[in-house]
Amino acid sequence: MNKSIPVYDPRGVVEAAPLSTAPRVTTLAGLRLALLDNTKWNANKLLRGLRDRLARKHALGAVNYYRKESFAAAAAPELLAEIAAANDIVLTAIGD
Amino acid sequence: MGLEMGKTDIIQAPPPADAPPAPEGADLIEWYYERGYSDGLPLVPPTPEKIAATVAALGGEPGRLLARVPPRWGSLTREVLAINMVMAGCRPEYGLVVEAAMLALTEPRFNLNGVQATTHMASPLLVVNGPARGAIGMNAGCNVFGSGNRANATIGRALRLVLLNVGGGWPGLLDKSTLGHPGKYTYCIAENEEASPLAPYHVEHGYRAQDSTVFLLAAEPPHSVTNHFANDAAGILDSVCSAMSTICNNNAVSAGHCAVVLGPEHAATIAKSGWKRHDIRHYLWAHSGNRWDDLYGRGRYGKVYNRNLPVWYKREPDARTPIVPSPDNIHLFVAGGEAGRFSAFIPGWGHMSAPVLRGIAGARPAGGPECVDGTCAV
Repeated sequence: MNKSIPVYDPRGVVEAAPLSTAPRVTTLAGLRLALLDNTKWNANKLLRGLRDRLARKHALGAVNYYRKESFAAAAAPELLAEIAAANDIVLTAIGD
Repeated sequence: MGLEMGKTDIIQAPPPADAPPAPEGADLIEWYYERGYSDGLPLVPPTPEKIAATVAALGGEPGRLLARVPPRWGSLTREVLAINMVMAGCRPEYGLVVEAAMLALTEPRFNLNGVQATTHMASPLLVVNGPARGAIGMNAGCNVFGSGNRANATIGRALRLVLLNVGGGWPGLLDKSTLGHPGKYTYCIAENEEASPLAPYHVEHGYRAQDSTVFLLAAEPPHSVTNHFANDAAGILDSVCSAMSTICNNNAVSAGHCAVVLGPEHAATIAKSGWKRHDIRHYLWAHSGNRWDDLYGRGRYGKVYNRNLPVWYKREPDARTPIVPSPDNIHLFVAGGEAGRFSAFIPGWGHMSAPVLRGIAGARPAGGPECVDGTCAV
């Protein structure tokens, strides 16, 4: 008869419900674009460059620029809620 | 599979499914390696008896939730902490130190999420003060940052195992550190209060001498400070200032907090000059720093503002740029062996993480004016 030895999982439980990702958009025309700057040195340069290129190629409905409080911490829940309420798509970047 | 040097997929990380029981006769050290729960060194296979003894030393209640550990946000219960402690080689009586350290690490101001994920090499440094050091046999003396003491080695290792297993800080996955540093295996010391002519660190911060505390700082490795010639406080501290004043430690460009560890010989010479903790920290702050222009290639790359530094720093070529914004951001300890004229400077990660001092077993600051070495700061 096969006996077994007790073994232990040291990882602890993650109590979070998995979220599915939003469906990919097929066109940018008329969509409201949020840019989320993580406040690292070059993030704003990178994001503004991308914004300009996107705006040249697509008829965006609006472009809104947001900044995190600190690059090393998660964005505040209120900021995320504001971004979600006022925009259709979000572009974020770090830039060391 | 051949080794492909430099690829992150050769680093083990745990698979998502729960482990099936191991068959009798299995080599448990290899079994745990295969599960990916290790820091790279062999784990001590936990037994029900060892886990129960550690949970009891923590105060019982195995299911009690202590913290959620980022960036994976795994639930750290007393039982999970005990499993990691046993795996690290801890004795049960180290439990209160490890638990206090984990509670400190998961205080929001420490920003463990950032410390775990950053490309910088920072790792939490733990410094223990008070009678707990002796009670569990910690080393505060010779080779204090090095190997050879079970409590120092396994307490620091238990923290790392929790950060890996519960926090998910697996290199290349959620830990994005470019280089890491050896303290990511274990980075735990005790202050040498017995050899120190100064008040202990925790007493400077309002605790009673009979209290025990943990201090956690997201830190680079120690940088040695050699000085065999000075016979007064200023001469020795000038050498510490030199170690602090490099343009590329993370404090130089990101402010925050740092630590200075004086070796007992250096501390004795400084104390002979009549200097107290307050004097030492202010001298270090006043006489370290970099020329602003030296920090950024002397104008070669254009004008730099650097939002990581306080707004009140003068951004002019010849201005002195402090290493940290205040003498209070220099955390001063005495540790190491009684022979040798060496100290250490330990840069921090920067303003992105604040260090945490926390009482062990519920100890709290005594309150009232802070009086250290005959000086009271109100």
